[in-house]
Amino acid sequence: MSARDSVARMLTLVPWLLERPGASLSEAAAAFGTEPATIRRELLHLDFCGLPGLAGGDLFEVELVGDRVVLGMADELTRPLRPTPQEAYRLVLTLDAAVVALGDDLPQLRAAVDKVRGVLGIPEQQADVVPDDEDTALLAAARAAVRDQRRVRLRYRGRSDEEPTTREIDPWTLDLVDGQGYLQGFDHGVGERRVFRLDRVLGFEPTEIPVLTPAPAQLPPPRYVPGPDDLEVELRLQRGARWLLDAIDADRIEEHADGTTWCVLRTDAPEFIARLVLSGGGDLEVVRPASLRARVRELAEAALANYGGEDGAP
Amino acid sequence: MTPKVERLVNLTIALLETRRPITFAELKQRTRYYAQDDPESARRMFERDKKLLRSLGVPIETHELAFSDEVGYRVARPAYELPDPDLTPGEVAALGLALEASGADDSRLALAKLAARAPDPDELAPITHTRLTLAADPVDEVAEAVATRTPLRFDYRTAAGRSELRRVQPHAIAHRRGAWYLVAHDLAREALRVFRLDRVRGAVRPDGQPGSYLHPDELDVAGLIAGPEGDRVEVEVAAQDRARFELVRRGALSTDTTHGDRSVLRIPQLDELRDRAWLLGFGADVEVLAPAALREQLVAALERLVEQHR
Repeated sequence: MSARDSVARMLTLVPWLLERPGASLSEAAAAFGTEPATIRRELLHLDFCGLPGLAGGDLFEVELVGDRVVLGMADELTRPLRPTPQEAYRLVLTLDAAVVALGDDLPQLRAAVDKVRGVLGIPEQQADVVPDDEDTALLAAARAAVRDQRRVRLRYRGRSDEEPTTREIDPWTLDLVDGQGYLQGFDHGVGERRVFRLDRVLGFEPTEIPVLTPAPAQLPPPRYVPGPDDLEVELRLQRGARWLLDAIDADRIEEHADGTTWCVLRTDAPEFIARLVLSGGGDLEVVRPASLRARVRELAEAALANYGGEDGAP
Repeated sequence: MTPKVERLVNLTIALLETRRPITFAELKQRTRYYAQDDPESARRMFERDKKLLRSLGVPIETHELAFSDEVGYRVARPAYELPDPDLTPGEVAALGLALEASGADDSRLALAKLAARAPDPDELAPITHTRLTLAADPVDEVAEAVATRTPLRFDYRTAAGRSELRRVQPHAIAHRRGAWYLVAHDLAREALRVFRLDRVRGAVRPDGQPGSYLHPDELDVAGLIAGPEGDRVEVEVAAQDRARFELVRRGALSTDTTHGDRSVLRIPQLDELRDRAWLLGFGADVEVLAPAALREQLVAALERLVEQHR
């Protein structure tokens, strides 16, 4: 624990304790997100704080009986220090994201966040998490399904699916990772755990059937972890396709003097990459593997056939 | 046991308690710190302490003193003390649960500050099924500039891949669909602009004094960020059934006509720049029928793709 962290906490711990005479170490630790032992250590420091000799000044009085604390003679610090701009904006934006994500599950949250914004002087026009209107209804339905533990019927098109399919899911958790929703649960069709991205859900039908398969004790938020069977892909990007680097996790990125960028990434969904290259419209080229180059050509030729083929014949 | 923690707390108290700015010599006397034999090293220790306290947000003011070469220091209580937000027990509980569901441990202290004088939280059922993660690190780079109205400059890569120096007056930080944005007045373009923070290259640097400009009275952050990049056009497409849902989700309307065995849909408001890539991504499932210019662009792009991947 650095001295910096301790000082930051103690300047707030003092008014917190003054407000709650007889609070326990574990209550204090919970309020500050730390361990009771850390609070105990910081109380020892507080015993040496305060400035004797000043008008009315004296050392703080820390009384620790069992694990209950009474703090006295600390009138110099009756109010907490204002959060730094970094702390304040982080807090407001995190809470704003929580309002979007948790919505009706925490009815008092919105009013609380408004008060926090007011006292920190951060209105919405200075810090805002902008929800996706297209997804709001779906998000609410998914939240209700996991909260009430009811089976859902999904129309879903995965990254490598040609056609959407219907799945019966026992929903376990809803995760919002940087604004993207994921539903995790037991897929009755395959008899296994599956993760579903909400922006690939084409239809969402709640049922009254209770969840049968219990969630595992540990269910980490979904995150793409490259597997041993993943395909390694090398892409060449013209300037116009640099946006792609915002959208993918590349293992290596090299910028060349001629303005092109080369990147290497691994994927378990080559079809998804082929469609991505297609949307690049020529600013994105597959360097390897040859199989993916062939797939892109095949997709482009098929699309071109709509427009009368390469030779221009109708 | 490190005396550093006590020294820093006591320095804060001494600066809060003084009514007029006090000099380093006076601070030494009052706190009994910085009494090393070597005055240079004592001074350096004081400078380090000041810097650390300022980084915690302690607003240490520096004043030129009349009839003296020395400077005086103090902390003004109104700038130091957080006013009460008057949270109810239910609100304190909701804030706690929201941070818990976010796993945002780095915001715990900020919440403790806000709730320091609030009543103890209500007991609410914990939220176990919904969790959220927001990678908020990019906020740190620009929060102070927005809060203190300090101009910034940085190298910025445009969507087209060019890199340019931008000089801006930051107004807002926002998040949408996994990306962080800075809404700012661009000084060279004399207009509001939206910058994606992950396209900023290198360091963001202050480019003027705090309080150099005002925030606008009205600012539609959501509208600016979700707004179009190109002109809005009406597009007519022939689509396979499996592409239909995604098109409808983006506002496509059915028409009564068909094109061969495919149905024809009309999308009233497509962003000419942003949605060209989206349409291409459908491959053979979607054919653009109109406008003709867009149709030609798609054909040219597809021909280029075939050529490149031969």
